Amino acid sequence: MTITEKIMARAAGLSSVTPGEIVDVQVDRVFSHEKLGPLFFDKFRELGLTVWDKERAILFADHGNPPSKASDADLIVKTGKFAEDYELPFYNGEGICHQLMPEKGYVLPGTVVVGTDSHTTTYGALGAFSTGFGSTETAWIFNKGKIWMKVPHTLLFKVSGKLGAGVMGKDLALHIMKLLGPDGANYRAIEYTGGAVKALSLDGRMSVCNMAVEAGAKNGVIEADGKVEAFLKGRTDQAYEMVKSDPDAVYEKVFEIDGDSLPPTVALPGSSSNSAPVGEAVGTPFTRALLGTCTNGRMEDFRVAAAILKGRKVHSKVRLQVIPASRGIFRQCIDEGLVQIFLDAGAIWCNPNCGPCAGGHYGLLGKDEVCVSTSNRNMPGRMGDSSAKIFLASPAVVAASAVNGKITDPRDYL
Amino acid sequence: MMPMNMIEKILARASGRESVAPGDVVVANVDTELLHDLSGYITARVFENEVKRPMRYPDRVALVFDHHFSPPNEERARILEINRNFAKKHGARLYDCGSGNIHHVGVRKGMIRPGTVVVGSDSHTPVHGALGCFAAGLGNNSHAGTVMPFGKAWFMTPHTVKVELFGDNRRKAVPRDVALWLTGRIGEGGAVYKALHFTGEYIRNLDVWDRWLFPLITIDVGGKCGFIDPDEKTVRFVQTMTDQTFEPLYSDPDCVYESVISCDISDIEPQVAASPTLGNVKPVGGFAGRPVQWAELGGHGGGRIEDMRQAAEILKGRHIYPGVKFNVVPSSREVFAEAVAEGLVGTLFDAGCTWFPPSAGSNQAINMGAMAETEAMISTQARNFPGRNGSPKAVMYLASAYTVAASALKGCVADPREYL
Repeated sequence: MTITEKIMARAAGLSSVTPGEIVDVQVDRVFSHEKLGPLFFDKFRELGLTVWDKERAILFADHGNPPSKASDADLIVKTGKFAEDYELPFYNGEGICHQLMPEKGYVLPGTVVVGTDSHTTTYGALGAFSTGFGSTETAWIFNKGKIWMKVPHTLLFKVSGKLGAGVMGKDLALHIMKLLGPDGANYRAIEYTGGAVKALSLDGRMSVCNMAVEAGAKNGVIEADGKVEAFLKGRTDQAYEMVKSDPDAVYEKVFEIDGDSLPPTVALPGSSSNSAPVGEAVGTPFTRALLGTCTNGRMEDFRVAAAILKGRKVHSKVRLQVIPASRGIFRQCIDEGLVQIFLDAGAIWCNPNCGPCAGGHYGLLGKDEVCVSTSNRNMPGRMGDSSAKIFLASPAVVAASAVNGKITDPRDYL
Repeated sequence: MMPMNMIEKILARASGRESVAPGDVVVANVDTELLHDLSGYITARVFENEVKRPMRYPDRVALVFDHHFSPPNEERARILEINRNFAKKHGARLYDCGSGNIHHVGVRKGMIRPGTVVVGSDSHTPVHGALGCFAAGLGNNSHAGTVMPFGKAWFMTPHTVKVELFGDNRRKAVPRDVALWLTGRIGEGGAVYKALHFTGEYIRNLDVWDRWLFPLITIDVGGKCGFIDPDEKTVRFVQTMTDQTFEPLYSDPDCVYESVISCDISDIEPQVAASPTLGNVKPVGGFAGRPVQWAELGGHGGGRIEDMRQAAEILKGRHIYPGVKFNVVPSSREVFAEAVAEGLVGTLFDAGCTWFPPSAGSNQAINMGAMAETEAMISTQARNFPGRNGSPKAVMYLASAYTVAASALKGCVADPREYL
């Protein structure tokens, strides 16, 4: 069996499962946030339901925080009230759910983690099975702790060698989008392996699994290793199992990628699968840049960007917003002197939250504006006006481009 | 010649007259015009569609994006783009998102110099009287119709009220408390179209950023402008911001006032002004115990390094009350950098505060600061009108940084003195 199959089998209380089989899965953690939780809160109360395990259902306010309109404030208050009444952990303004779930020790290898957000696939980076659900199913899970799922077929990506200097997990994620297209992994599990994947930092792996859903995948997963153990040290005292795929596990399809030759990659506007080597976009002028989000708002991302920005200035035509994914990351950036570097470079240093990525607030794009962003989606209208253009890229590309005022190969700045 | 006060001299010089007296209408040369993101594009529309002339002195004009450190929706993004393109087209100065609060940016960029005429689209523009300017807010059409094409604006010279503050405070009230108290003392509408001359030993002994808090209240009592005669402190302060030369003007010792308000501030206690208006101001005990879910350092009256230091003094080694969100909004990039250098970013962060980009913060809830109807905020902001921060039922308490910090620790309006 594959990692995904093994985790599902264990969670369903079965000795084995096969793709296509429908199983009842016991969930280890479930979460919701202020944009999608309030859709079920009233009904949940009205039906007199209880939460199956108060330690295992978590709430966040991250999408519209701080609120720029009273209706957003209402959603946050409503989420806080639900958390208070049902005695659930509630993280309000602490950062993005997809960073806090791992950071607070809620995600362990071998476990099943679900939530009302499509990018829940991120936690596969820790060797968990994780996927997003709609609000109605999530209400059911809040109450029962279980949900039915069809076991997905697994696609295997073997990435050999080692990514070069200036090439990050994000570039790999964008390259894979090119291979799969926006629906090339519909309801599939994607497993990533090979030397280049093992060499990625946990932050880099989170970028990769975060974008699995962009190809339609049910989940993305990477076998947990010492890097995951090191990360979890001090964050949990629960035991966990680092699940591995069997050597003879069956994959629906195997893709091979040469990590050594992978260039910095960007997705051209319209779809994350419009990706191409950065060379094809080099020279494109833009005025907005975003460094952050659940894809790239982590320490490695800020360190790489800061190394490029140190002693340089953001181009006068560009506004670079820098948004750490959590308070923990913000603190670490203070300690490492990165806040100073970004401020000196002229970047706009922001509070931890989802930022403008989901198009709700906080730096949206006007008519025909062009943005280079580390986020994960660039369909028309995603971050504001539908005529605005979004290029998706790694933190290295965003930083180098922000300095230059046009899309730039970060290897020029190494 | 009749003796004149500082603003009369400034208006006389700026209009090429030997003297002016209250009631005289003058056409004055404008040295600095500050527009913010909520009004610049409206001015631009009038200027482009009705006035249709070149901008006479683009370098004297600044557009500061302070209500947005980032546009929260497409409509806002579009408006900022109009502002931006307008500034570029005419060569005006542009301080884009994340630069800071309009008035602080004006000061930091050396656009506010003693002896000059400053106009702005923001109603708190009279704050620049703190640096020895004649400074007043103007409507959008005046900006478009006279200031942009001709570099001029007309004013009726106001009558002047002397506001003399003396005494040594014995009750740990800080300048913000005294200014809040004074708003209540003069009363909303208590100085309509007057100039307020803030003076007395208390004012003289303050540093420039603390003096700033007094002319700031001018508009909230209905005044046209407020001012403090410049002194050595003022001159040194401005010289750190600009290399440009300037000629301060000073009130004649025997200048004539319409009336005098003279106050001993020795026994003023920390003050809080609760919604619906600034006039609803009481000693902190009058509101103590009322719950707050939000706290904020920011806005015209806050977000200074002095505010960060006050808050840090109380919050160091402590943690804010569970469920309270504490926004820290530096008034300029320079203040943010100072806060990093002094370690205040870490101290306030560790206490549970959240740092935001330099901006006007929750002012009018453009980027942040919208509240649900059950919520309340205590802040250093300048206004507390219903509906200004989300639901009209939400409550805003205005106070000093000390009181904001103490209240954040307790989860309710709290007297800071137990921590001082």
